[in-house]
Amino acid sequence: MVTVPTPRERTALVAIIMLVAATSSCQVAAKNEEFFGKTTPPTRNVLRYINGDEPETLDPPISSGQPEARIFIALYEGLVEYDPKTLAPVPAIAESWGVNNDSSEYVFHLRHNARWSNGDPIVAEDFVYSFRRGLSPELASRNAYLAYYIKYGQAYNEGAVFVRNPQTGEFLLEKDFAHSDQEVPESLSQKPLSSGEAEYKGSDSAPNTSFHQFMHSPARLTLPASEKARKKLIDADAKLQAAVRDKEFVPVRAEDVGIEAVDDYTVRISLSQPAPYFSGLLAHQLFRAVPRKVIEKYGEHWTEPAHIVTSGAFKVKAWRPYSELVVERNPFYWDFANVRLEEIHFYTTQDNPTAMNLYKVGEADAVLNHTVPNPWLDVVRSKKDYMDGAEAAIVYVLINVTRPPMNDIRVRRAFNMAIDKVTYSQSRRITKPLSAFTPEGIFPGYPQPKGDPFNPEQARKLLGEAGFPVMQRADGSYECAKFPVDQVEYVFNTQSSNRTMAEFFQAQWKQNLGITVPLRSMEFRTFLNVRAKLEYKGFALGIWGADYMDPFTFLNLFSTPTGDNGSGWWDQRYSEMLDAANRTLDKQKRYELMARAEKFLLDAQPVIPIETSATNWVKKPYVKGMYPNAGSLFPWKFVYIERDPAKWDYGVPAMAD
Amino acid sequence: MLRFITRRLLITIPTILVVITVTWVLIRLAPGNFYSGEKRLPPAIEKNIREKYGLDKPWYEQYAKTMGGILRWDFGTSLKYEGQSVNAIIARSLPVSATIGILAYLLALGVGITAGSIAALKQNSKWDYASMALAMLGISVPNFVLGPILVLIFSLTLYWVPPSRWAGFPSRNIILPVLTLSAIYMAYIARLTRAGMLEVLRSDYIRTARSKGLSERAVVMRHALRGGLLPVVSYTGPALAFLLTGTVVVERIFALPGLGNYFIQASLNRDEPLIIGIVAFIAIALLVMNLLVDIAYAYLDPRIRY
Repeated sequence: MVTVPTPRERTALVAIIMLVAATSSCQVAAKNEEFFGKTTPPTRNVLRYINGDEPETLDPPISSGQPEARIFIALYEGLVEYDPKTLAPVPAIAESWGVNNDSSEYVFHLRHNARWSNGDPIVAEDFVYSFRRGLSPELASRNAYLAYYIKYGQAYNEGAVFVRNPQTGEFLLEKDFAHSDQEVPESLSQKPLSSGEAEYKGSDSAPNTSFHQFMHSPARLTLPASEKARKKLIDADAKLQAAVRDKEFVPVRAEDVGIEAVDDYTVRISLSQPAPYFSGLLAHQLFRAVPRKVIEKYGEHWTEPAHIVTSGAFKVKAWRPYSELVVERNPFYWDFANVRLEEIHFYTTQDNPTAMNLYKVGEADAVLNHTVPNPWLDVVRSKKDYMDGAEAAIVYVLINVTRPPMNDIRVRRAFNMAIDKVTYSQSRRITKPLSAFTPEGIFPGYPQPKGDPFNPEQARKLLGEAGFPVMQRADGSYECAKFPVDQVEYVFNTQSSNRTMAEFFQAQWKQNLGITVPLRSMEFRTFLNVRAKLEYKGFALGIWGADYMDPFTFLNLFSTPTGDNGSGWWDQRYSEMLDAANRTLDKQKRYELMARAEKFLLDAQPVIPIETSATNWVKKPYVKGMYPNAGSLFPWKFVYIERDPAKWDYGVPAMAD
Repeated sequence: MLRFITRRLLITIPTILVVITVTWVLIRLAPGNFYSGEKRLPPAIEKNIREKYGLDKPWYEQYAKTMGGILRWDFGTSLKYEGQSVNAIIARSLPVSATIGILAYLLALGVGITAGSIAALKQNSKWDYASMALAMLGISVPNFVLGPILVLIFSLTLYWVPPSRWAGFPSRNIILPVLTLSAIYMAYIARLTRAGMLEVLRSDYIRTARSKGLSERAVVMRHALRGGLLPVVSYTGPALAFLLTGTVVVERIFALPGLGNYFIQASLNRDEPLIIGIVAFIAIALLVMNLLVDIAYAYLDPRIRY
């Protein structure tokens, strides 16, 4: 039966058709445009940035998140700042610095015109205070481990004690109780002082002081603060037991930590080991200057807009929690004349499509990394405001090597060779395939080793050698009847993209080895727990982002059996190889040694490398000075709004200088 | 009546304590911690954090501390958001949720009751079919679908209203969240009103009213509506509590700094004081709303006496 629509029904029909048309026309329009959405620059020099999660706090050492890190770059400055393109350390409050001959001691020369946002000068003591505070057990910073390279930094943070002879005042020394059979060469910072010129060849040193001499004495023995842990340690070691008799335990104090204000504008940092990457670490929020007077006056409320005093290019204007943080130019900032943004609005938005909507209608000028949802990529990626750059982050699969059958290296290698990473990356569209454990294309000059390539033939052979023969069925598919499928699984945290990845691995293993590995997803924090405690069997998803721009930040994961390792694999030789590399001053030589360690790791195969991540965000063409760098960290003082369309960025801005 | 209210209020207190205790236990059972992130912490740093927040104390001490605080109406300080008291967070985010919630509630009531009454009075007319079809649509389309569709049409294509973010009240920013939030309530209220009205319109006392010569208007407004709205009242009481205390999905889609957004984030963050504070608050709001519903019943339906 056909009914003729009444006039009213017709109106309704027309309305519905218009809605559908409007929806689809938007997509058609988007395809023809150069950029994603509106490109009208704001009238003032104001940047509206979508920053993701709500910042936990404005107190820099406490938070470890990326959204906070970006805010801290605006509000606080350290001795050094990130280069906007390479993230290498560039002068900030320190004008220049020198390093000793084995990268175990640094001297920083502060500029004389650096000021807090209340006008007070920033001096060397401020950094001594900020570093000690970051390490103090009472503050309980999650980032404190980054400062463990500083002499006695770890001991102070852990609340450890020295052992002193009450009669002579002498302390027990670490080297007398070393357990390693191998003689670890002492770093220069532990040795008695030679002449400053000899130690700082070609770069300037600072005058000697009594604290400096204390630093340059052999490392003292430190023991745990808690009596129980200490007793356990002492009871286990007869030599130690004899040595501590009649001795007193002295807590490690903040004043023992290896940072010193030589004078008002000179800071010297002594490390317990050579660390060539240390100056790059110093741009991290843990090391940015915080105002002592304000903190001591207001306690944990010092970051409230009414009290806060900052050291960076910007200061707090308004904070509307869960909505936005507004920062404005700090008139006392030493480089005020070159800061072009008047304000930055950091928006809190946790939903990616919501962020992209704000960007499209022109209510935001840039969005944080990994915000373009996968289904949108086809449209957004072709635009000239899409920021595609290599990222210092990798995705890999951890293997629990403590349980059979994955304790057999042949089995591990077989599972690695059975995944076609090139095809996977192509399907993901925003990543590069990875065969090693450091990200590809991030560290220029690093001779990255290659892991096993995709080779299903070889993989089946290896499985066969391990006692799990793979048979070919009549229809061409494979089966591996002997493999204990109930002893393996692939665990990952619940997220749709992780599931897609998991299904790809599952399909590859099924197709190439005839093994169907069960998948198990769990809530993020549960997952972290399961992985860290090796409570999974078989495989677990791993993602790692760089703490600083050096291959060591990745290779370091497996230098200890605990921590973020997550695989149960550990080899003393591997740790020693990394150690040797870090003692090498020559950069290229060091890289080669490090690459050798990486090869050693790949050969042991506690991991299956999958991909190097790529950045995936958008910024309006009129936002200049912002680059898709490897860490998605932006030194805001270099960012500005360009009103002249001729000078806009049409595509990813050039990253080379 | 007064005795009834007193009794109900007295039951409320143990109920809330039970709710809080269960929540407290559940948080402890959930794996992970507020400080656990993508990277694992060295044990010493974890120990420092546990000491700082009193997590190293025995469970009964921690429980006593939480409960003691609640009895003094002090929910403590958020673990995740350093230095921010839970009371301050609730005080700040509640007005946002409540503004959106009350507006959505009023809109839902106004449109829902009107549409439902018209549908009932003109049963089986095209008005009836149209409004019930729309209501069916409102019930079946979840708000996480409706919200983005509204944004797509009115912000991204027509550029009429901003797609999200809070800009205070009144502002154009609240139009879409209020519409999205009210849709399903509007639909339910329309259906409940229609059903209630249809039943009442056939009852004896309406026939009596009609037969004593009252105008149709008086019959509907004074007699039918009062009885027909009873199901609506029992539905909208708790609904109002939910609307006031924030709705997770809508607040997320529209990036509103409301209680619902804090709640979901607090759960994901394992931010114990904040979770307990918000749970307690929602529990109280729900219980109070239910009490108000019962009181409203007594007023609307002369047969009900407590």
